[in-house]
Amino acid sequence: MFDILQHAFMQRAFLVGILLAIIIPCIGTIVVFKRLSLMGDALSHTSLAGVAIGLLFGFDPVLGAIAACLFAAFGIEAIRRRIPKYSELSIAVILSVGVGLAGLLSGFVKNASSFSSFLFGSIVAISDFETLLVVIVSVLVFGLFALLYKELFYIAFDEQAAALSGVPVKLVNTLFTILTAATVSIAAQTIGALIVSSMMVVPVATGMLLARSYRQNLVIAISSAVISTVSGIILSYQFGTKPGASIVLSNVAIFLLALALRGARKWISRRNITTKSARKEPSAPKGAADV
Amino acid sequence: MEDIHAITVSDLSFGYGESLLLDQVSFTVRDGDFAAVIGSNGTGKSTMIKLLLGLLTPISGEIRILGKSVGQIRDFSRIGYVPQNSGHDASSFPATVEEIVLSGLYREIGFLRPVRKKHKLRVAEALASVGMQDHVSDLMGELSGGQQQRVMLARVLVNLPQILLLDEPTVGIDAVAVKSLLTILHRLNIENKVTIVMVTHDLDVCAPYLNRVFCLTGHNFAENRIPESVIVHAHPPRETEDLPHIHCAACEGGPHNRAECAACVSAHAENGGTDHV
Repeated sequence: MFDILQHAFMQRAFLVGILLAIIIPCIGTIVVFKRLSLMGDALSHTSLAGVAIGLLFGFDPVLGAIAACLFAAFGIEAIRRRIPKYSELSIAVILSVGVGLAGLLSGFVKNASSFSSFLFGSIVAISDFETLLVVIVSVLVFGLFALLYKELFYIAFDEQAAALSGVPVKLVNTLFTILTAATVSIAAQTIGALIVSSMMVVPVATGMLLARSYRQNLVIAISSAVISTVSGIILSYQFGTKPGASIVLSNVAIFLLALALRGARKWISRRNITTKSARKEPSAPKGAADV
Repeated sequence: MEDIHAITVSDLSFGYGESLLLDQVSFTVRDGDFAAVIGSNGTGKSTMIKLLLGLLTPISGEIRILGKSVGQIRDFSRIGYVPQNSGHDASSFPATVEEIVLSGLYREIGFLRPVRKKHKLRVAEALASVGMQDHVSDLMGELSGGQQQRVMLARVLVNLPQILLLDEPTVGIDAVAVKSLLTILHRLNIENKVTIVMVTHDLDVCAPYLNRVFCLTGHNFAENRIPESVIVHAHPPRETEDLPHIHCAACEGGPHNRAECAACVSAHAENGGTDHV
């Protein structure tokens, strides 16, 4: 079992996987509570367009992915501000741009295998440079997220009230957009563009099923993402499955477990209430039957 | 000495697109008033509240809050705002009552600064003032509509505001919860001298607690009088001059001086000394 850690590529996979499992739910929590759950989808698909541009023009596709993600994230924010009542439309528009561009440009990419590695990720085949990039981005994202914890919470809860309370909404939103773009673009490289979105949403959904506060929600989301990443990598090593897909399916399994736990908790509390109310039910007064 | 009103609106005009919603509106709200803003849907009641908060920019006119032009106000912590359906909207957010009320105290906590014990104490006090002290750790989604609305009120009370702007706070909550909410507002108004402006459709329920009613009709504000007989507390007695321009339902004569209007005086007498609001 522990021979898995003897390989350098697996050590890197665990390091990168765990770091991403910590920062993706941080971003996901805010994205989900802002009701922009599919933002990860839009960004990761647009990152593919950046990858294609990188491969076409001969520069690092990861840089292309970062640039495309930044463009997409600011595009979503700009459209969202103009039509706040239909903010989800901003995601649909950018998603269409991303898919369209990626589809169009991928036709010109000669090395199709390097392009498809971004679709499903290659966490066990990442280079030292990419590992370093993930470490740097993770430290930055987690550090800024921790610093902006209450500001992000207030904005996600009520942006208008946050602005009236003095939260620098524009500045915080801009920083968050950059953090989101950076996270999605490096995650797309490692766990796959098609899987980033579910890593962003499913652990947060698990947290929402079990948590008793916003803080707990975040802790549960990170914990479930870390557990699913570690178990996904182990499963993929043992059974030769694709790591990205294994991670996401582990995530979904934890979500289903949480769903069952919540159901059981509700059933028990309902049963307790019924038992208590049955005990409190006043017994018929003595002699009532005689009346 | 110049009398500084809580809110002074002078010749305010506002519209969406090309349609004018508010035309040359002028009115004042005095310190300690508990005023209702009534009117049909779409007449601009919520818009007026947003204009008072500087969330919308008027075409012309001026708004002064506590003696300061609204455009110059940077710190809104003394002006508490509870938006329409805020309790219901907050119910889907997975946060505790304490976390939500703490968010109202942001200006005092500060940018990038941690929450301290004294802030949590302030939250506990605010929750106690609306009778929600036993629900600190509860999730918003687990509370009733009336309780959610009280939490949203505590969220603004945590800043000890001088003015409260409430947009339809009684919508979607049952009669008992409405009564409880109005009692809390009444206490804040009388004991803490908080000036309250409340958009509402429930005038019959709210009337006993109010001392002023503004009716938004035909792009303008008109003030209607609350019959003294239904007021449950002693507000400062109002002079006739306080109500110079009203819209009289009895004579339909448009804005005019009620004291000088024969139709008004006659209707007043027919109603057994009470006014025709």
